[in-house]
Amino acid sequence: MIFPLRSLYLLFCFFTLFGFAQEKFTLSGSVTDKSSNETLIGANIIVHTLQTGAISNEYGFYSLTLGKGIYEFQISYLGYTSIVQTIQLDKNQTLNFELSTSSESLDEVVILEDVEKLSIRKPQMSLNALSINTIKQIPVVLGEVDLIKSITLLPGVTTAGEGASGFNVRGGAADQNLILLDEATIFNSSHLFGLFSVFNPDAIKDIKLYKGGIPAKYGGRVSSVLDIYQKEGNSNEFKINGGLGLVSSRLLVEGPLKKERGAFLFGGRSSYAHLFLPLFDIDNIAYFYDLNTKLNYKINETNSVFLSGYFGRDVFNISDSFENAYGNAVINFRWNHLFSDQLFSNLSLIYSDYDYDLKLNFVEFDWTSGIRNLNIKYDLKHYISNDFKLYYGINSIYYKFNPGDIKPTTETSGINPVKLIDKYAFENAIYLEAEHEISNRLAMNYGLRLSSFLRLGQDEINVYENNNPVIFNSELNIYEKATPIGTENLKRNEVIKSFFNFEPRLALAYQFNDETSLKASYNKISQYLHLLSNTSSPTPLDVWAPSGDFIKPQILHQYALGFFKTISDNTYNLELEAFYKNIDNRIDYTDSADLIANNAIEQVILKGQARAYGLELLLRKNKGDFQGWIAYTLSKSEQQTKGRTSSEIGINNGRWYNTPYDKTHDVSITTSYQLNETWSFNANFLFQTGLPVTYPKGQYNYNGISIPIYEDRNSNRIPNYHRMDVSAKYIPKLNSGRKWKTEWVFSIYNIYNRNNASSISFRENRTTGVNESFKQSLFGIIPSISYNFKF
Amino acid sequence: MKKLIIIVLSIVTYSCEEPIDLRLNTSEPQLVIDASINWVKGSSGNIQEIKLSLTAPYYDLNTPPANNASVIIYNTNNEVYNFIEDGTSGVYRNNNFIPIINANYTLEIIYNGEVYSATEILKSVSPIEYVEQKNDGGFSGTETELKAYYTDPENVENYYLFEFQNNITTLPSLEVYKDEFTDGNQIFGFYTEEDLTTGDEVIIRNIGISKAYYNYMFILLQQNSEEGGGPFETTPATVRGNCVNETNSNNFPFGFFRLSEVDELIYTVE
Repeated sequence: MIFPLRSLYLLFCFFTLFGFAQEKFTLSGSVTDKSSNETLIGANIIVHTLQTGAISNEYGFYSLTLGKGIYEFQISYLGYTSIVQTIQLDKNQTLNFELSTSSESLDEVVILEDVEKLSIRKPQMSLNALSINTIKQIPVVLGEVDLIKSITLLPGVTTAGEGASGFNVRGGAADQNLILLDEATIFNSSHLFGLFSVFNPDAIKDIKLYKGGIPAKYGGRVSSVLDIYQKEGNSNEFKINGGLGLVSSRLLVEGPLKKERGAFLFGGRSSYAHLFLPLFDIDNIAYFYDLNTKLNYKINETNSVFLSGYFGRDVFNISDSFENAYGNAVINFRWNHLFSDQLFSNLSLIYSDYDYDLKLNFVEFDWTSGIRNLNIKYDLKHYISNDFKLYYGINSIYYKFNPGDIKPTTETSGINPVKLIDKYAFENAIYLEAEHEISNRLAMNYGLRLSSFLRLGQDEINVYENNNPVIFNSELNIYEKATPIGTENLKRNEVIKSFFNFEPRLALAYQFNDETSLKASYNKISQYLHLLSNTSSPTPLDVWAPSGDFIKPQILHQYALGFFKTISDNTYNLELEAFYKNIDNRIDYTDSADLIANNAIEQVILKGQARAYGLELLLRKNKGDFQGWIAYTLSKSEQQTKGRTSSEIGINNGRWYNTPYDKTHDVSITTSYQLNETWSFNANFLFQTGLPVTYPKGQYNYNGISIPIYEDRNSNRIPNYHRMDVSAKYIPKLNSGRKWKTEWVFSIYNIYNRNNASSISFRENRTTGVNESFKQSLFGIIPSISYNFKF
Repeated sequence: MKKLIIIVLSIVTYSCEEPIDLRLNTSEPQLVIDASINWVKGSSGNIQEIKLSLTAPYYDLNTPPANNASVIIYNTNNEVYNFIEDGTSGVYRNNNFIPIINANYTLEIIYNGEVYSATEILKSVSPIEYVEQKNDGGFSGTETELKAYYTDPENVENYYLFEFQNNITTLPSLEVYKDEFTDGNQIFGFYTEEDLTTGDEVIIRNIGISKAYYNYMFILLQQNSEEGGGPFETTPATVRGNCVNETNSNNFPFGFFRLSEVDELIYTVE
């Protein structure tokens, strides 16, 4: 309690201090792309003489307050030609900057220095950012550009194997990532059970992954925040671009609603149905599609509105027996309002849902489950002075959980209709964060988030003897489900259980010189939702469960320390970070846990903890024809579930064990080489320690079958993983001087055709009765080609 | 479901599977109790056997028998049934067992100076009413599919073990079912096999089991047939049955003591 209150007090001291500062003027406005009028996120507005500057926010807005005077401003953005402009600042001014992309003329030097210098200065650490252009150049499986797979090439991010859905950040689980698309929560980030990610790269403008030092603005997930913004659409002219690949085709249409004031964008991506299932001559279908839409309108200089939507679906039908469809839907209305040239606000109203539907025709039933939520956010950015900015806001989310609904599909079905009880919850947060440059050398971000979670009334809440839903059978050393002694029905407006958490966030940067800085951060974050999944990586049918009487919120503490350096005039930069985190109340499951269609999930859940620590190294070359990076992560990710009393065994006898996504070493090397205007090449190489698994140490014969006896949980590893990919991009010479622009991308995934193990299986040969072990591999060498166009 | 996702993934990707030689660790031998008392409907149920064996290294073709044990079952009326070992086979037999539905039985084994015990109830079962055959079943659409129908008694919790044994593979196909979503309905045990042809025989057994046995077998079957370490695998763990070592609890036995009524039907593939 003492710490948060004190920091609040400090904040207000600063607030009043800067509120009454002497005569100063504000330069504010937006930074946009000249040709499309698309706002630019993270553009730099620099005043070299003062060694200060501003960065445009998620909506392209910047605000810079300086003393009276004449200044030279440099406006720069990665991949764009910089503007230098001298401005006499003797009154508050609005100035919008338009930058031209430098890609048309490759000889032009794109200035990157200041971008990097500011990041040396800024306290934000543990941030993985890749530009969409970089992502589009990275060779990928089947040529399908993939945001999430690209991000795993940076340190601290990995996946639980090639076919695994979601991603793991700094040893965290996949359900601990907050994935935001235009501020709306996305619950499932994968298509085809994890082969591709749900984001259509053409519709994406900006992507950032916070692994640590997470600003107070974000909360609700303990491991990371993946913050993605969609493009707004071209408000200058009508444009179409698209592409044809081996897996899917894309088409994106954008254009002005009203010139320079409003724009629309519609993007679609669809895989080819039947593509994957040529092996059978019957009606199998497997495909996915995404639709991205966005409308924006600038009402006047101080008000803009945005309406954006995302809809994605995966469909699988296997013969007539199995029909499966799932996906996210998001609709989002936002309103930007400028209260003054120093106070920017955004209001978001968001509806988002995730639905899963399975029809098993041979058993004659239909299963649906899902989560939906209504989310209201109000965020303000107060650019009080050059050295001091305040960010504050509120956020409320109302959730409805449908853990499952079973309906018979025929009159003769042997299945009874069952509705698992819906659950409801209300998550609220209020935050205040300061970005404070204390001196030329020291900068800090400090903030506090107060979060609360109210589990609301529902029907049929189980009541247990001694409030204990899991009973330990000490004779057999197993956990068993307790039988409820009754049920309670509570009205929706009643609160079953409430949680409150103070979440301090702190980040600081100490700059030794223009090239070198040291950063440190601390985070506390609470997570109130839990994905019920006892597999190594989530499956689409896993359901989310809210915290309540029997499931406590996960609480994270993360500490990180980093060393940042730019070398030889910013040709190279080096990032070295160490982190330690621990998470309380990580749920684990009893051995016989059935998580699907379980109306009393509390009977199979045990409370444990998780911890992870590691070192991350990123060495990047930013200039020249030859660019790229080396990323290395050395880390450990573990979990422990002790018995609740000394007589209980817990999970794995209460010992720490590896999480299924623990990788000791994770190396990736990504390179690109620009040969000339028409040809460019990319290559990457990955090496990763094999994932933890559990091998048998013996067997016994029971009921005529051989049963393996396992070692301690996750104490073995599958063989190490490595592969190399290459790609080449060809831009025909014909492109210059014509409107219709094309490019070809050729790529080879896993060029030396290593059969990397995705899993090791053990089974008894059904004919001979001999126990055998097998290695499964998902992808061998895969060449692919894709064609992109724009006009 | 997990099985399904694996199938789908392997169809979708260019997956391949190859045998791999792994050096696995070994553990000390432990007693395995395969005590399944089956009372086939219409028989007297007098003749019963219990198999005792030891654990073995994973790749061994056979597991060794546990010899020279003393094995008895007694009921709540203290009627004692002695099970005598047949040579050195590890199979212990009794020819005058009296099965009674819902009666409580205790198994007691003395092996190597240690006392093992378990208590269980003899569970009844619904008869198999008829079998439905489909020749375009399974996920490939080419497998022979059998549905063995039975009617679940209403308003009581029931658990079933289905055993399908054909004459072309050595291992039985086992499935466990609960009536949580099918209470009181006519429902089926499900079996698919690619290689069945007309005239093949399948022995179908519906076996009444307890909830504890259902939970035990549910995990066991996952571990017998599936992958170890794929993304959709639940983490495997040592499964304990209902038998305890009273002398030395650390040296716990594997296996289960179950007593069931069984309905058996021999189906000839059409």
